[in-house]
Amino acid sequence: MSAIGISALKVLAALGLMLANGVVMIYMLRKVLGHLHIRLGPMHVGWKGTLQTVMDVLKLLTKEDITPRAVDRWLFRIAPAVVFIPSLMAYAALPFSDTWRVTNLDTGLLYTFAVLSLVPMGILMAGWASNNKWSLLGGMRAAAQQIAYEVPLLLSVLPIVMLVGSMNLGVIVEAQRGTVLAVIPRWFIMNPLFWPTFLLYSVSALIETNQTPFDMSEAESEIVAGFATEYSAMKFGLLFLSEFSNQFIVAALTVTLFFGGWTLPWIPEAVSNSFGPVVFMLKTYLVIAVMMWIRGTFPRVRIDQLMQLGWQRLIPISLVWIVFSGIVIKVWS
Amino acid sequence: MRPEIADIERSLAGLFEAQVTGELLGVVARVSLADVAGALEALKAAGYETLIDFDGTDTGELIELTYRLRSYALDLEVWVKAPVAYGGTIESMWYEYPSALMPERETAELLGVHLAGHPNPKRLLTTDGVEPLLRKSVAIRTVEEVRDR
Amino acid sequence: MTDHCDDTLGVGLLCEGQHEPGTPPAGLRRAPSGVDGLTTEHLIINMGPQHPSTHGVLRMIIEVDGEEVVAAEVSVGYLHRGIEKLAEHRRYDAVGTLMDRGDYVSGIMGELAFALATEQLMEIEVPRKAHWLRSLTSELNRLASHLVWYGTFGLDTGAMGQFLYAMREREALLDILEAISGQRMMFNYVRPGGVVADLPVGVEEKIRAFLGTFPMYLDEYDQLLGGNEIFQARVKGIGVIDRDMALAFGLTGANLRASGVDFDIRKARPYAAYPELDFDVPLGAKGDAWDRYTVRMGEMAQSARMIGQLIDGMPEGEHTAKVPRIIRPAAGESYASVESSRGETAVHLVSDGTEHPYRMHYRGPSLYAVQALEELLPGHLLGDVVMLIGSTDVMLGEIDR
Repeated sequence: MSAIGISALKVLAALGLMLANGVVMIYMLRKVLGHLHIRLGPMHVGWKGTLQTVMDVLKLLTKEDITPRAVDRWLFRIAPAVVFIPSLMAYAALPFSDTWRVTNLDTGLLYTFAVLSLVPMGILMAGWASNNKWSLLGGMRAAAQQIAYEVPLLLSVLPIVMLVGSMNLGVIVEAQRGTVLAVIPRWFIMNPLFWPTFLLYSVSALIETNQTPFDMSEAESEIVAGFATEYSAMKFGLLFLSEFSNQFIVAALTVTLFFGGWTLPWIPEAVSNSFGPVVFMLKTYLVIAVMMWIRGTFPRVRIDQLMQLGWQRLIPISLVWIVFSGIVIKVWS
Repeated sequence: MRPEIADIERSLAGLFEAQVTGELLGVVARVSLADVAGALEALKAAGYETLIDFDGTDTGELIELTYRLRSYALDLEVWVKAPVAYGGTIESMWYEYPSALMPERETAELLGVHLAGHPNPKRLLTTDGVEPLLRKSVAIRTVEEVRDR
Repeated sequence: MTDHCDDTLGVGLLCEGQHEPGTPPAGLRRAPSGVDGLTTEHLIINMGPQHPSTHGVLRMIIEVDGEEVVAAEVSVGYLHRGIEKLAEHRRYDAVGTLMDRGDYVSGIMGELAFALATEQLMEIEVPRKAHWLRSLTSELNRLASHLVWYGTFGLDTGAMGQFLYAMREREALLDILEAISGQRMMFNYVRPGGVVADLPVGVEEKIRAFLGTFPMYLDEYDQLLGGNEIFQARVKGIGVIDRDMALAFGLTGANLRASGVDFDIRKARPYAAYPELDFDVPLGAKGDAWDRYTVRMGEMAQSARMIGQLIDGMPEGEHTAKVPRIIRPAAGESYASVESSRGETAVHLVSDGTEHPYRMHYRGPSLYAVQALEELLPGHLLGDVVMLIGSTDVMLGEIDR
């Protein structure tokens, strides 16, 4: 097949994966939260409720799409697209295995973060265009929060880039291949130098994806549904699909950067390479399950406390750690 | 818990028509409407820091206001009662006892008196156009009427 | 709410909307122009009456400067059912149903206030067992009410799990209360003269089973929410009500005790079985939302302790005095207070000797707490608004009556 045909197929596959992810993750969220809350979650639609999200998607597709009279028409219409398209684009650099990836970007890490940083722009547009004070507050909070935390997010993973010497996500995964002393995997999470990195990254990642304890822009008890209050039907579906998709991307990045990506250390390479994508998805979903566990337990941080956390603590610590790990890496090599 | 009647009379000395009696309710000081502000100020100076309750009763001829004051330091309570005519005006005591803010609005609205000196004298509980519900002249359907409807 | 406001009886109150267009309603201010010629406007936001967080139909009109609250106005009355007026047309043993629906989460204590007020005018002696049953159901109800407070407080901050854990304990309590009184929430159990029925067979085992596990769960819940640093950061230092402000606004109950005033009606003006029970009264020091949280958690532990004592020492005897079928207390005026889960619930009863009360005034403690909110809110952030409403534990049923 021509190169363009293969690329088009890859894009369609990424889109399909994004939609499938949304369906599975919403069901998983409802089940995980349900069991954490001593209740069951969806049980009736399909076996133990597995068809619930499919039916919900069908419901959203057939709902009436209401556009309030006084909204800013064009901004209101394209805001969900501005939120959805970067989420789709972020799938481009993820390495599902050594051959399965949409593209092999040498600046994969930077590209993913750069593309994710377009999402708060869409949220701000949605909040402003809705002509609703609550949406405006939600949009403003999202802008302040997500745009501010781009910096710590990128700074926190720079030590890994320094060690590996490349921003190519595939190269970063290859650098974690194999084991130390035949037992401990060579994953970066096992490297004590990167424990603060992991901590900084996971906090920044939770904030970037609007997850509790940092979901102020959609804090239900304070501002109803925040920036998404006035959206209905598929526009709402797009907004929330992209939120779940961002969660997947960030979890996939966690797995790529810290947990060895698609590699399994104790099995010969030829075997593990063939089911790399399965391993990758399993690891990613484990990380997502932990994020949902946190979501069901922790209370929400206040917006000013969050901004203090970022500017007064996360950024200085990230900068110090970059310098320190740079010195350590230089000395050791 | 019950203060001495003599102590209350001493605090309210100088206010005409202040009758202090001991009843089942407690020690009750009855004053005229014009002396309410003076009585409450005097009692606050005597140590009754809190206004715990305020309400009004439609006696059929006039409306009787009841203030319940408490002193935590002395562990004493005293009552002040004052009559007001239908449609009369009561002076808000919020500057002495801020806890009177909403009870005064409610009493004025539900018993049909005017409220003066209050920072926010809007209706509290009922909508515009509703008559003062707690007046005896406002009838409601009895249980039998509702049952046999 | 109509735009048309007709002042038919010349009551002279300002109606909603009867102000100059373009000016803010009473109580809210406009911002002065900012520095350097930059004009900022304050945003007037309406929170409620339908809202995922407020504890009932509470409407707050808040003027915010960015995220900081500049002024706030509380608008209540969305749940006004005319309880005080209806009580004038009910017989004395039926008024309890109205009191149930005031503070609907602590129905027993509302009924008890009215029953005590009536008994002051009747010449009867309530048997000892009735006192103990009244205290037992009051403490069970206090636990149930505090669990609702705990759950919704956590839910307001975003912690969803705690709400359901609290509801799980509350189910056990409502089960017990249903066994005793026949109803899960609107008990109609305490009547003038005593209570409706004795403890049924099997309830004692249920209560002991509940008490067997509850202290452990209470510690767990305290750790889950109170031990969480994010929660502490959100709650410590906000909504400080010092002693003078608490007294000035007529606060009672946990709100008052958190500000350091040691006054619990169960100790200061004992009623029912409380003179014979052994319990402590938790106190706070600073009067911020954290103190109110710890005081209520402490009260839950004390309630569990009291329930154990009540069940162990439950006396024999009649569960009610002999009261006539139609109660006609002597003409006069009486007043009775009880320590309900939100503060001092009191009934001012005027009787004219007939079978209907002449006037029943129901003092709901949340009315005073919600007044204090108007004064408390300016200076806090928007995220603190729900925390303050939750920490003062307002219940709209007893505000609006």
